Formats: sequence, structure tokens, C-alpha cells
Amino acid sequence: MSVRPVAQLSEYGAAAQGRAGSAFWWGLIILAGGLLLPWSRQGVNVLAYDAARTGLRLAFEAWPIAAALALAGVLVVLGRPAFPTRAAGRAMLAVSAAGAAVTIGHLLTRNEPFGLGAVVVFLGFLSVAGMSLSYGGLLRVEPFAGAAILWLAAFIAVFILYPLWAMLVTSVWVRDRFTLDVFRQTLRSPTFFLFENPWTELSERRLALWVGLASGLVALAWQVVLHRTELGQNWRRIALWTVTGAASGYCLSALYTGFGALRNSVLLALSVGLVSTALGLSFALLAQRSRFPIRSLMGPISTLSMITPPFVLGLSMIYMFGRQGFITNQILGLSTNAFYGPLGVGVAQVLAFTPLAYLVLTGVVRSLDPAMEEAAQTLRASRWRLFHTVTWPLLRPGVANAFLLCVIESLADFGNPLILGGGVPFLPTEVFFAIEGRFNQNEAAVYGVILLFMTVGVFALQHYWIGRASYVTVTGKPTGGNPSPLPGVLEYPMTAAFVLWTLLGFMLYASVFFGSFVKLWGFNNTFTLEHYEALRTSGIGVFLDTARLAAIASVPSALVGFLLAYVVGRLRFPGRSLLEFTSMLSFAVPGTVMGIGYVLAFNSGALRLTGTELIIVLAFVFRNMPVGIRSGLAALQQIDRSLEEASTTLRASNVTTLRRILFPLLVPAVISGLMFSFVRAMTAISQVIFLVTPSTNLATVLILSWVGHGSIGRGAALSCVLIAAMAVVVLVLNVVLHRTGRRAGPAATL
Amino acid sequence: MTKSTPAGMGAPVRLEKVTKRFGPVVAVNDVSLEIPGQKMVTLLGPSGCGKTTTLRIIAGLETVSSGRLFIGDQDVTHQPASQRPITMVFQSYALFPHLNVFENVAYGLRNLRVPPADIRKAVGEALALVGLAGLETRAPSQLSGGQQQRVALARALVMRPKVLLLDEPLSNLDAKLRKQVRHELRSLQQQLGITSIYVTHDQSEALALSDVIVVMKDGVIQQIGPPEELYQRPANAFVAKFIGDANLLEAEVRGGQVWVGNYRVPEPPGHLIDGRRLLMVRPEAIVMEPAGPAETAGPSGAAQPAGAAGAPGAGSAAGDASTPAEGGLPGRVVDAFYQGMSAEYMVETAAGDLMVLDTNLAGPMLPPGTPVRLRFSPRGMYVLPGEAGAQAVAAAS
Repeated sequence: MSVRPVAQLSEYGAAAQGRAGSAFWWGLIILAGGLLLPWSRQGVNVLAYDAARTGLRLAFEAWPIAAALALAGVLVVLGRPAFPTRAAGRAMLAVSAAGAAVTIGHLLTRNEPFGLGAVVVFLGFLSVAGMSLSYGGLLRVEPFAGAAILWLAAFIAVFILYPLWAMLVTSVWVRDRFTLDVFRQTLRSPTFFLFENPWTELSERRLALWVGLASGLVALAWQVVLHRTELGQNWRRIALWTVTGAASGYCLSALYTGFGALRNSVLLALSVGLVSTALGLSFALLAQRSRFPIRSLMGPISTLSMITPPFVLGLSMIYMFGRQGFITNQILGLSTNAFYGPLGVGVAQVLAFTPLAYLVLTGVVRSLDPAMEEAAQTLRASRWRLFHTVTWPLLRPGVANAFLLCVIESLADFGNPLILGGGVPFLPTEVFFAIEGRFNQNEAAVYGVILLFMTVGVFALQHYWIGRASYVTVTGKPTGGNPSPLPGVLEYPMTAAFVLWTLLGFMLYASVFFGSFVKLWGFNNTFTLEHYEALRTSGIGVFLDTARLAAIASVPSALVGFLLAYVVGRLRFPGRSLLEFTSMLSFAVPGTVMGIGYVLAFNSGALRLTGTELIIVLAFVFRNMPVGIRSGLAALQQIDRSLEEASTTLRASNVTTLRRILFPLLVPAVISGLMFSFVRAMTAISQVIFLVTPSTNLATVLILSWVGHGSIGRGAALSCVLIAAMAVVVLVLNVVLHRTGRRAGPAATL
Repeated sequence: MTKSTPAGMGAPVRLEKVTKRFGPVVAVNDVSLEIPGQKMVTLLGPSGCGKTTTLRIIAGLETVSSGRLFIGDQDVTHQPASQRPITMVFQSYALFPHLNVFENVAYGLRNLRVPPADIRKAVGEALALVGLAGLETRAPSQLSGGQQQRVALARALVMRPKVLLLDEPLSNLDAKLRKQVRHELRSLQQQLGITSIYVTHDQSEALALSDVIVVMKDGVIQQIGPPEELYQRPANAFVAKFIGDANLLEAEVRGGQVWVGNYRVPEPPGHLIDGRRLLMVRPEAIVMEPAGPAETAGPSGAAQPAGAAGAPGAGSAAGDASTPAEGGLPGRVVDAFYQGMSAEYMVETAAGDLMVLDTNLAGPMLPPGTPVRLRFSPRGMYVLPGEAGAQAVAAAS
């Protein structure tokens, strides 16, 4: 550094003098929107212009509109200075809060569906309120961040919490009074759960008691033997294990002998969770410690499972194992219904969820430091002892995590039970049948509440129990040393399972492909293009509509997700953990539950959205927002906080830092977030099936209804088109991201 | 607001009773500190002592739990970081990876909406100042560690801050480069006259760079002063041990005379108040010579109180090695380490194990077991304030 005498580095003062503050511009926007745009609407087109309902016409009839516009005028005056004083900030907060309240009050009392003008006015007041929180010194963040926090909080409240609340209310509020009758009826109905079966001689209740007693005793004996040296100190632990053992024995017996949707769903979720996790763990271990090229195969497989609509596996199960199935009928000569019901649903779900478990566990397995195993071996640990004392304790949190994720997914899965259920009740399908078949909203709400509490319970378990005990990120750098190869006793069966699983998956996909080219699978296997020709009249139009809505929705869902990740991950403000919890909660809400919630919440009144395209877009946005949040949080973790701090000390506001530093660095993550939102929207079914109308149909719903009416070939053809299109999207984007140097890792789907 | 001080004028910084709590942890505890303008001030301490938190409070990257902060005569306690007249050089440099060198340096000026022509001129000057002219279009990843460090410095200097904050800026450089950049940093700071606050845990860096050193421990300031004062007159055992190497031994002060066992230490500076005191002796201030086998009293002989040596007036015969009071502290070499330009010994004496640094290396190394005689020279000694005791020694370690 050649030092030379300097005195010429010139000095610069703060700019931004003489510019009008943001509140001023927001005041103008509110005035323009409130005067020129309609406050309410008649039809299903949210964007429609209606001169008779603009503020210009209504301001003299409806005093709240006049009041809101007057308050906006006050904001224009107050918002002039670029840096308002504390007192001015508090005054603006009061004005904008009053404005938002007046707007909401007007919408609620008029009880007409809202129009674009009302949205602009409300969001305008909300923005100013958020900025004023910062100006007024009530929130120690920048004005922009204050506005962003309020926007996000409002969106989450209206589009996640309110629908769930509406569902809760509907389950206990029948004909304008509070009652638990619906709950009582539903819980007692044999469709939900039948414990004591009157048609068998055996008393299931007594059997469950005996099983519970026996398993409690076994647990007691095991714990006593385990802690035989220090019984006194460990009595709490022993008592806990005994009670847990007895309770789980009782429950399992009750589930095993019982009937009904609860029993089916829980038993299915537990078995699917177990099998998928075991397979996922085997594949993850094989991928790291076997000569077999599992890893290069698992990549495309997990991508394929991601772009496949959830019920396509169910559809292909019919082709392979149905009454006219290729394997059951052509090869084995059977005509069986065995695969309609829990068995078929289970197989389809295991195929669909194993990649998920694999993705969770492959990170855990890879983070196992080989040096630790080597250290244990130099300390004379035998192989079994090594696994028992080192490897398994390190794997356990990851395994539990994968298991609980698969349980949530299985509980929430809607498409496979619908196609393959064969009349056997499951919780998600009962929600649907209650509202679409029995036209009983209250019953549907009860089923929804039960399903919601189950998945949220599992989610909370995963969050608080596993979250604390994660050893995954102990070391950053992988040390040298080779992971020890698997013992042959493990490797060969695992490899066999992988080959079988891959073959089955391949067969199922192939059957959908071939099924779309034959006249009628199993009866008339002549080649035909008629299914694809038939798509031209109805399928392609719906497909393009779906793509349009999914594309529209992908932008806000990625942006909202990333903004939320930024606000939750980088800012400090009161209520942050609440915002984080509610946004994470939406991971755990099954699509069917959200579907019934949207139906109940947005069916009437000011927030009426039924039949609009907007409700489908909103459903997509808030269903896929968690994907954006997760990939946003993951990407933010990669960015050193001191970059933002450097930007701040160089006089950049939060907005500038976000725009000029974070956003350019996050572009690859944002692009992959967009892609995943789009793909998930294209393949979604469980929520939107409640929301479609004949005028706003979606590809997945159409496939499902075709399959239901027997046009399986046409459904297969549209599925193939859908999968092919998604594959092209993923491939193109991967190439784009590869050019920019980053990959859209499959981890972003988690 | 920047008009109030002329260009090149660094502003003073004042902390008034600043406290920062992270939950139950008190990172900075009631710190009051006046940092003079245009000086290089170092916050020095072990990791977790609160020095980085103090720096981040000055930057505005942390809020205070209580207390007030002034830059110049302005109260900036509640001013956001993006409006304070400071810039900061980060330990990781925090260069924006997607911007080239020019854009990195220009970033702050663009935030101030400086006209493009002025930006080009200022960035050119700043890059020339750190010796990086011509590298404008490089990406940060194409630069060496030392170059990245200079870009970070140029990016901070181009803003003409009133206060420049440096958070361990040299810790990612290798030892040779660190020494060079240290000198350049120092001369640059003196030329530009910017108030600089420098955080480090490396005491040699602090000694070489600073006008003033602030030693911190557990969120509390231990001592403030110029490097020489801290080295020669540490305020307590912790400072003595943390800055340089130090032997701490218990000494008896009686009527202005300092006794270590039977050895009367020659006129040390410091707090010569009667009683048992803690005496600091630097390893390089101990002169060691082999003792004849007859004199080897061994540690046991010196255990009796110094009063036994009697004769407070025995300050006569200099060089009379036979009187124990003047003849130094007997001991025995326990360990010896050769270090090239010096040799380090561990010597067992009645007053404890002492570290001795022999910079003369006149003869061959003394092997372990050799009986020796130690004499302390006044320039490397200091009697610490406060009573000697187990607490004071424990606090130092």
C-alpha cells in the first residue's frame, strides 16, 4: 500500500433531502384507488371495473368511504417530510389505523364482495401504519420492514388463520348456536371409529386392556433389568416407560381390531412412515457406502416423484394390480380387489414418500464424520457396539424427523385414498365426502378439525422434541477418512430392496405411459391415439388454464416466502416468533383441511371469493409459501451476516441492502423457489378440489374426475402431458441455474 | 451534519455507563470511555471480554441495554447504524461477492447519491491510497487475502468517516503480511487523522499500533493508557499477565524496601506501601548466572521470613555476592527452551517458578538442574496496587 499524502478525499453529506416521504405517496395511492376503483363487485371477476361503485360515486352516500378518503388526505399532508418526527409518526399511525378500521367496518357492514378499490385502500393504510410504527419509535426496525411485517401478518391472518378459525367455528356452531352434537355424532359414527364391534364374539375393549397390561409389564421388566443396579434413582424413568408401554399397547390393539377412518388413517400413516423411513435410510446408507451407483439414480427419481401429481401412482396401481391389472390379472390370472383399500394406498404412498425420507436422511448420513467411527474403532469398539453407541445415537434425530414427516404426508394424502380407497374410509377423503357427497359442512369441519389436530400434534412433536436434539451440523468440513463399508448382511438385502423399489416404480410409470396409448387397459390392448385426440377438446384448455394460474401464483408465493424468510430470519421485533410459528404451521396443515377452511371462510360476505380464479391463486400461494420460506431460510444461512452489516455501515437502508446485496445473491434460490412453487401448484389436488367450479377447472381435478368416471385412458394421457411438461420446466431451469453456477437442489422441496 | 467538522478531522467518541445484556449474560458492564479524536485506540482482551460488542455498539449494529453514546457532540444512542458517521472493516472483510472492486468501494457513495463523476474520482483516490489502482474490474474472489483486506479498507475510507471501526482486520492474514499491513495501517491512520477504534485479542498488535489501549475483561474495562504505561505499570495482575509475559510474586514492602524472601529487590517502581504486595517482574528483566555448588541453599533455606535477614541498612556493598540480601534469589533450572535469538528458562525458587528470558546467550545453554542465582533489574519491575493474595493471582490466570 503505497502511502502518499492525501487530504483530497472529499466528504459527502446525507442525501435524500427535499424528497417527499413514502407516506405521502401512499396517501396519494389510497386517494387514487379509493376514488377511481370500485369498492365492491358483483361477479367473480375481481379485476372488473364498475363505475357505479367507485369512491367518486359512493363518497356522498357512504360516510365511511368519505372518512377513509379524508384520512388519506391527512396522510398526504403529514407524510411530506422524508424523515418524520416521532410525534408525526405516532399521529400517522393513529390516522392510518383509523383509516384501516373504517375500511374494514364499511366492508363488513355492506356485506358485499370486496372490490379492487377497497383492497388498495386497506393495503395503503396498512403500509402507512407499518411505516409509522417505525417512525413513531414503537418498532425498532426501518419503515420498510415495519410495512412488510404488517403485510405479512395480515396475509397470514386472513389466508391461513381465518380459514382454520372458520372451520373450527363451523364444527361447533350449528344453526346459530353453540353445540357439540356434531362432534358427538361424528365421533360415535362407525365411519369415524368403531371400537367394540357387535358382530364379533370377541370383546375388543377387553382385548385391548389385556394387550395394554401385557405391554406395560414387558416395558416394566425391560426397564428394571436395564437399570437393575440403580433402581431407586431411575424410578421416574421406569414409571414413564411402563405407562407409555401400556398406553401404546392399548392404542395399537384398539387400532388393529377397530374399524373406521381414524383407525385406517393412523394405522396407514404409522406403517407407511415406518416402511418409507426404513427404505429411505437404507438408500441413504447405500448411496454413501456402497459401490452401487445409488446416488446418481436417486437424483432423477426424487425429481420424478416431485413432479408427479400425487395420485398418478394410485392410477398406475390400478393398471398393475387392479381387477384387470397387468400383474394380478394377466400374469397371475387373478381378479382381485385386494389392492383397493389400505394395502394399495400404502404401497402407492411408500413409493411416493420414500424419496422424501431419503432426502432428509442422506444429509444426516453424509454429516456422520467417518473420523468418529475410526476413533471409536481405535478405542476397541466392536462393529455392533460402534453402531449401537455412536452411529445410531447420531442418526436417531434424523430418522425420527423423516418418520414424522412421512406420517404427516401420509395423514394428509388425499389423491391415493380417493382413487384406491375402494370404499374404505380415510380421514382426508371423509372431509371431501362429507361436503361433496353428504352436503354436511359441519361434519366436514369436524373431520377437518380432527385431522388438523393430529397433523399439528405430530408437527409440534417434530419441532420441539427432535428440533432440540439434532446433531447434524456439528462439523462444517468433512474430514478425511473413508466411511467403513456396510456389512454384507445389511448391504445385500438393502440393495435388493432398492432394485425392487426402483423396478416397481419404473413399472408403474411405464404402465401410465402405455395405458395412455391403448384403447382400454386389460380388455382391449390395441394401440390408439384417441385419448390424446380427446384432450384437444377439453384437456388442453384446462391444462393451459392451470399453467397460467400456477405461473401467476408462483411469483407471489416465492416472493412472500422469501420476504417472510428475511423478516423472520434477519429482523428482531416483538411477535417475531409468533409470525415464524404460524408461517411454519402451514407446513403441517393438510390440503384438505385448508380446502374446507377456504370453502367455509370465503363463501359469503365481504370476503366472498368462491368461483373466482383469485381464490385458486391464493390457495396456491399460501399452500406453496412454505417452500419459499424454507429455501429462503436455507439460502440466507449461506450468506454471511457481516455482508448486510457492511452494507448498513455504508449508509444503506434495509431496502437498499435487500435490493442490492441480498437479492442478487439470492437469485438462484429465488428462481428455484419459483420453479418449485409452479410445479407444486400444477400438481396440487387436495386443497383445490374443494375450490374448483365448472368455469375454473384444473388439470389434476379433471384427471381425477375422468378416472372416477371410468375414462382412465384419457386421465393417463393428461397425466403424461403434465409430467412431461413439468420435466421440461425442471430441466430448463436446472440448465439456467447451472449456467449461473448454482443448482436447484432437491433439498429445496423439503 | 457532516459540515460541522472539517475534512480529515476525526471526532471523539464517548461512552457513558454503557451496558449490554444478552439475556442473563452481561456482555458489556457499565462501561464509560472517552476516545480522543484522531487517535488510534485499541480494545484489547481475551475472547468474550466484550470488546467486539463494544465496537458493534459504537457502529450501531447492537442496541444498548442502558447508557448513552456520543460521536463528536452528538448523542447517537438511538440513531440507526445507516445514519452514523462511521464505517467499519470486518474481520471477514464482508466484500460483496457479486460486485467488482470498483463497485464495492463505490457502494457507500452510491447510497449517499453522490454524482457519478465524483464517485469515479473518489474511488480512484481511495484505491490508489491502498495501492490497488488498476484492479477496479476484478471480482473479490480473484484477489488475494491481503488485497481483499485493502479493498475493505478502501471501501471504509472512501466514505470519509468521522470514526473508523476495525474488527480484528488482520486476523485472516499470515504472520508476515500481518506485520506489514499493521505498519501501513498505522501510517495511513496518522496521515488521514481519522479516529480509529481497533479490536484485537493480539497484544503485540495492540502494542505496535495504538496511541491508547483499552484492556477489557468480562465486559469491564481493566485499564486505559498508552502502550508503554500498560506494559510498565499495569493496573492489576490481569493486565500484567495479558500484556507481555509476567512473573507475579509475593513481596514484602517495609519502609520503602521490597523483599522477596531473603532477596532485597533493587528499588522497583510502583506502589511501595508497607505490607504484602504483588510484584511483577518481566522475564527479560531477570539476570541469571550459575551459582557455585556451595551456595546452593535450595528453596528450603529461603523459606523463613525476610526479617531474619535483618539489617535493613545492608544496602552497602554492591557486588558483594556473599550477602544473601544483595546476592539475588537462589534457584534451580527446571526447564530450558532454545528460541534462536533468546533462551527461555523455567527456574524453581522459594518464591515460586519464574520464567526467565536470556537475550544475551553468551555461553552454552544451562541444562536443567543447574543451580542459579537470579537478580531483578528495576526497568522491568512494578509493584502492583492492592494487597497480594490468592485472589489477585487467580484473577490473572
